[in-house]
Amino acid sequence: MTSPRAASPRALAWRRRGDAFAAGWRQFARQRSGLFGLGLLLVIVALAVLAPVLTDREGLNVINATGGPLEAPSGEFPLGTDRQGRSVLLLTLWGARMSLTVGFVAALLSIGIGTIIGILAAHYGRWVSAGLMRITDFFLVLPSLVLAIALSTVLNPGIGTVILAIGITSWPPSARLVRAQTLTIEARPYIERSRALGGGHLHVITKHVLPAVLPLVFVNTTLAVGSAIVAESTLSFLGLGDPDPMRPSWGSMLRSAWLDSAVIAGAWWYLLPPGIAIAIVVLAFTMCGRALESVLNPRLREG
Amino acid sequence: MALLELRDLTVRYGGRARAVEAVRGVSLTLDAGETLGLAGESGCGKSTLAMSVLRLLPSSATIDGQILLDGEDVTTMKWGRLRAVRWTTAAIVFQGAMHALNPVRRVRDQIAEPIVLHADTPPSAAAVRKRVDALLAQVELPAAKGEAYPHELSGGQKQRVMIAMALACDPRLVIADEPTTALDVIVQAQVLSLLSRLVAEQDIGLVMISHDLAVLASTCRRLAVMYEGRLVEEGDAKQVIADPRHEHTRSLAAAFPTVGDPVFRYAPATSNELGLPDPPSAVPDDEPLLRAEDVRVTFTGRGRREVTHAVAGVDLDVRRGEIVALVGQSGSGKTTLARTILGLQQATGGRVLFEGEPVPASAKGLRAYRRQVQLVLQDPTSALNPRHSVYESVAEGLRIHKVGGDERAHVAAALEAAELRPAEEFMPLLPQQLSGGQRQRVVIAGALALEPRVLVADEPVASLDASVRGEILALLLRLRAKLGLAALVITHDLGLAWNIADRVAVMYQGELVEVGPVDEVLSDPRHDYTKSLLAALPTTGEQ
Repeated sequence: MTSPRAASPRALAWRRRGDAFAAGWRQFARQRSGLFGLGLLLVIVALAVLAPVLTDREGLNVINATGGPLEAPSGEFPLGTDRQGRSVLLLTLWGARMSLTVGFVAALLSIGIGTIIGILAAHYGRWVSAGLMRITDFFLVLPSLVLAIALSTVLNPGIGTVILAIGITSWPPSARLVRAQTLTIEARPYIERSRALGGGHLHVITKHVLPAVLPLVFVNTTLAVGSAIVAESTLSFLGLGDPDPMRPSWGSMLRSAWLDSAVIAGAWWYLLPPGIAIAIVVLAFTMCGRALESVLNPRLREG
Repeated sequence: MALLELRDLTVRYGGRARAVEAVRGVSLTLDAGETLGLAGESGCGKSTLAMSVLRLLPSSATIDGQILLDGEDVTTMKWGRLRAVRWTTAAIVFQGAMHALNPVRRVRDQIAEPIVLHADTPPSAAAVRKRVDALLAQVELPAAKGEAYPHELSGGQKQRVMIAMALACDPRLVIADEPTTALDVIVQAQVLSLLSRLVAEQDIGLVMISHDLAVLASTCRRLAVMYEGRLVEEGDAKQVIADPRHEHTRSLAAAFPTVGDPVFRYAPATSNELGLPDPPSAVPDDEPLLRAEDVRVTFTGRGRREVTHAVAGVDLDVRRGEIVALVGQSGSGKTTLARTILGLQQATGGRVLFEGEPVPASAKGLRAYRRQVQLVLQDPTSALNPRHSVYESVAEGLRIHKVGGDERAHVAAALEAAELRPAEEFMPLLPQQLSGGQRQRVVIAGALALEPRVLVADEPVASLDASVRGEILALLLRLRAKLGLAALVITHDLGLAWNIADRVAVMYQGELVEVGPVDEVLSDPRHDYTKSLLAALPTTGEQ
């Protein structure tokens, strides 16, 4: 026996979790695409977080804009300027803050709703399940873009509304996934043993079901962030995002580029940076998510 | 020339560095028309030995020694020759008929598969059809069953189909790997007699693998016992069982008691130094501790047309410190009855009384009741959360019921009571680090931690090895003697009832057909169903 006898069970449990995490990390590190995506993400998040330190926010102010309208890339403005003469590089950098925030929070909201509904439906079964799954079906068949547009017009435009719109429309698939996983866990005899020991619903859900479902939820969150960022861009592009020019997002940049007829003016530097940024971030999240998935779901691991 | 001859066969798994020897230097011969039983516990290498005959082992296995099938060495055969030999010379009846059949193909097509594969010229559809009909007739299935899909057949019927498949190409050797493990006693007896008849009629060599000596003794003339990859004993079946020379054979023979033999009464096979408690003096005939009154459970199928009476009016008592065995075939409703008694299943009618009080239906009342009546499940591997350590699993009940005091001391005491010593060393381990018997002890410790009055055990030893089985049963007897613990043991195994129970209740199609003291019921059964259960028990051939 290698373990010290005096260690408390709680400490032992934590050490076991630490070991499991280390083993998982080794698996993850073996996948080049996952590592690459993670590295990319870390760089982007660092840039977004450090934007106030690295740059001056006043550059976003239309009144203080120093450049001419739609200037081509130059030494002063590496990615050119927009119609108001603001640096596109600065806009893209600050846009990352907005897009990532909305992406993360909306994904968490969506997965959170999905997980709770999925677990409750599977755990209680019968009419609870029937009721919840009908609601899920309702949201599943609702055209999410239309619902999001409707919500954004009813509520005050702003970041909160965008997050809510995305969160409310994108949870049904994760609810179905979590429900399926919960059903397989609930069928295990150790759930029955726990009930026979006297465990109530809360005990079974928190001690047995949730820890078993969490890995799946985690993977899904990673994958959901990417699609939430795309959804945010779509809504902003349609003019439903935050109207404040001091708080640009990649979607709203694309919108103003379109409104300012950047294509006709030949201002490719106005269109490409936000577009490419969206593509890269979504790709990075997807690569990370897939790698995580294969670590946490051994069935996907190749022989 | 012998039909099958193994010469110094050794099978290793894994790479050179960390190789595990599954079979170590086994030599065996089998002549045509002979029957050989291969006995041993799980992990002793008996299945590996059987699969090596047709080289059906995973690629990580390396084979040393010779396997002569009709004088030809299987280990050096070219792929094409091996393919031809498989099924035409030797065929296998696989373990677990439930999973060895393709669920999306008709049974007829699956039986025909080897016939078509091994024919030199493609046989006509009519000829294949005739051959399959003949095979079905041989295994006593009507030809119409060929049109069925596997899920439409019962376990016994599926096993018959597997046997028909094995016979499809007229093999000279049939290897049956645990052919009756998942089957009921009565169905098991039918399948065994079918196998014996076919072997005798067609002069086939049969190698039958099982962990149950009685099953082997009733079909095979010779018996070989394996232990840790080695052949430890071989000889005439009757002689080996009557006079086992190796210690392991002796424990295997003792693990399966002979019902009706007083030697095995209250004496499950155990080598524990704690020994067995004395048989209980006459059970005090006082108030029943747990009582089921006219309990009914009805399941309604889809459309509310099909109604299944899983439990159809059962009256059953469990008195203080008494062990009651609930015996029946699978599907007889015994597990549903147990779940109802525990309050895990809502009864459609009747009631359950504990100490004269009806079991409450409220969540709070049920929780208090469950502290008194605890459950031990069939398969300890799945009954423990793989993410929880032994400590957490045992402490789970204590935490649910908010038992005060030193939690660690309670857990240690429960582990000690389940004879996991030293308790400290077992606490940090995860279920996959334990053996099957240890896992079942952890489940029992988890139940004991709450100091219950009654233990409901659903097939507590069905998934355990023969030698462990006796130890767990002995533990139940010692717990009863020490703590006055009453138990309701659900089982399909009459031997278990004979081993430990005071009273036995025989369940058939949702009803108790016979209840009484074990000695009376099993020695002198009144009901026809009990009689047929007893008659179906495989015997070691002494009676």
